[in-house]
Amino acid sequence: MPGCTLIITEKPDAAERIASAISTTGKVKRITDKGVPYYIPETEETIIVVPALGHLYTLTSEKKGRATYPVFDFMWVPRYLAERGAARIRTWISVISKLSDNADTFIDACDYDIEGSIIGYCILKYACKDKEKTAKRMKYSTLTQEEIRKSYNQLLPSLNFALIEAGLTRHEVDWLYGVNLSRALTIAVKNCSGNYVALSTGRVQGPTLKFIETREKQIRCFVPTPYWIIKAKVNLGGSIFQIEYEDDIETKAEGEAILARCKTKEGTIDKIDVNKFQHKPPHPFDLGSLQSEAYRLFRYTPMQTMNISQRLYLDALISYPRTASQKLPSSMGYRDILRKLSKRLEYEKPAGELLAKSSLKPTQGNMEDPAHPAIYPTGELPRRALNGPEKNILDLVVRRFLAAFGEPAIQQSAKVTLSIGGCEFKLNGRRTVQEGWFYFYEPYVHQQDVSLPPIKEGQKVGFKKVLLQRMYTTPVSRYNPASLLRKMEAGKIGTKATRAGIVQTLYERKYIREESIAVTDIGFEVAEILTKHCAPISSIELTRNLEERMYEIQQAKETRENTLKDAIHVLEQVTTKLKENEKAIGFGLSQAIRKAKLEERTVGTCPKCQDGKLVILCSKKTGKRFVGCTNYFENTCKAAFPLPQSGTVKPSGKICRSCGWPIVRVWSKKRHLWNLCLNPECPSKKSRDNIEMQSVQ
Amino acid sequence: MKAYKNVTENYEAWKKAIGLSWIEYLNEIRKNSLTGEWAKEVAKYLIDDEGTRNVKED
Repeated sequence: MPGCTLIITEKPDAAERIASAISTTGKVKRITDKGVPYYIPETEETIIVVPALGHLYTLTSEKKGRATYPVFDFMWVPRYLAERGAARIRTWISVISKLSDNADTFIDACDYDIEGSIIGYCILKYACKDKEKTAKRMKYSTLTQEEIRKSYNQLLPSLNFALIEAGLTRHEVDWLYGVNLSRALTIAVKNCSGNYVALSTGRVQGPTLKFIETREKQIRCFVPTPYWIIKAKVNLGGSIFQIEYEDDIETKAEGEAILARCKTKEGTIDKIDVNKFQHKPPHPFDLGSLQSEAYRLFRYTPMQTMNISQRLYLDALISYPRTASQKLPSSMGYRDILRKLSKRLEYEKPAGELLAKSSLKPTQGNMEDPAHPAIYPTGELPRRALNGPEKNILDLVVRRFLAAFGEPAIQQSAKVTLSIGGCEFKLNGRRTVQEGWFYFYEPYVHQQDVSLPPIKEGQKVGFKKVLLQRMYTTPVSRYNPASLLRKMEAGKIGTKATRAGIVQTLYERKYIREESIAVTDIGFEVAEILTKHCAPISSIELTRNLEERMYEIQQAKETRENTLKDAIHVLEQVTTKLKENEKAIGFGLSQAIRKAKLEERTVGTCPKCQDGKLVILCSKKTGKRFVGCTNYFENTCKAAFPLPQSGTVKPSGKICRSCGWPIVRVWSKKRHLWNLCLNPECPSKKSRDNIEMQSVQ
Repeated sequence: MKAYKNVTENYEAWKKAIGLSWIEYLNEIRKNSLTGEWAKEVAKYLIDDEGTRNVKED
């Protein structure tokens, strides 16, 4: 098809939507070439919309081999040349290349952000043979028909080269840091233990791990101190309320003395302080705040939320989610969206109420994103059945959008001071006076009311129970995926699109574990190495400074060359230091890896000797697996228990409710997942046997 | 080091609060589920180490 227009998109779903939006009849011809789909909309001129599969090009070292560092020479290559398992990319690039031979107009329709810009740029430059200079750009924030058409009719004359330059720099700097530091760790372990273990660290990974490690140390070193509180129950208007003594008490003696003074059964309401306060409506979601809220409400990890919102975006149900903006421009047409939402039963009433307003002005946050507005619903109806999590995230985005247009909510708080025997107790109440935006954000509002009955100063109150309770100071809480993301955001490390992935990598490398994040031994060792030998890299300052320079490149105030030169300068010093200490690093890491591997197989404390650990082992003689005590090697305990020989067996970290012995988890094709108590004499097993015997009889 | 510092420094607060001896305090924090893993190890070491106890009592 000579003389055609080639439109490049980031993903197949987007290609299909764009093709169908620009088709004059709405019809699209789908063609597949060697498994690569592309779309031809019905239009006067010939247009081909071809998707990429995310990044088709990546960075690799100019020299072959992975066993050396430092590496400062790199080049952009098709992904199949640099990564294992990317063979499909070869066909993909060849199809795009073939299509580009017959095209004379090129349009980059990838997402309008750093990653999308690089995907489009690399395809135009390498697969389409230097067409990046003449290509035009589509810019849109939602995949709705109107916006796609508008964007197609108002094409930007060229690619955003400043954004591309910033993106290329980010990729190249991150590649330099990642490859050199990760190789240094991996090679150190290989040379020490002879084993290959994939270890990694990088410009953002390092400081993130450092955050978690610092907190973990605080928790592990924490010593609680006791204090006392006095709680009482009072009868107010027929309902029982719990009240607390006004201060924390430092010593037991002091607590007992106060308790003795509270022996009388009747107290008085001394004072009622009533205050009104406003809750401003929330700003619309940027990606970070959506991830936090989704974790609070549904316990979705940031990665899950990002993936779900990406799917909703590709279905044209919400706007582009990888945005840092908390603002909604008036040009987007608030009323049109509200009108569409009002056609859906669940939003009919709230959207209708907003539409009845004479003017609509959403609450705006402080953060801006030059490429996209905050996340908002398009008001379109889903074309397929959404699953539970997709429904939840969509509903959350819709209600937050509605709430942003709401009035402030007004609550009234009452601080009641009650006294008994000269001791003052406090009781707090709160009620909503004006619902405002709470109404639109239901059921996600977390300012719950605590209603108090009508009371007045001087009123006598019956005290039901007065208790002295010993408490302990608590350590700082561990990060969870959402609070860690907030910490990264506050430290300005990483980008909205990469943060969730970085946290995921830390889990995959086994540096951290569990939802309430704890650092593993390997994590500690890597963090220690970074602090000791790569101090500049584990500091937030370096990565923050780099982010600022990236922004300056975007503003054409800084150059890619300068930034790369400086990164190489830092890395030269660091890699020299790492090489000098390779033996010690390798030894430390190998020890941590060995310990971690043993921990993975440790079932619990041995119930026989109460000293050794029970570990999943494999007999060298028979090849059969079993659980044995680590004290066997010391000749002090011979405890050993059989295990099922088929399926996967893993420690559960739990103990049996009936006998207190450790439990293992077994996955098998026949029985799926089941728990097995190691105790052959466990009462729970006996009772099961009895039931089976009875049923046989 | 930080764990050791926390264990030794917090003794005063415990002594004031419930009048425990040094060894009683160490046993108490070893049993407490809020005590950090490393602080517990330090407490165990100090309990085992008679010399340390004597020094404290002096």
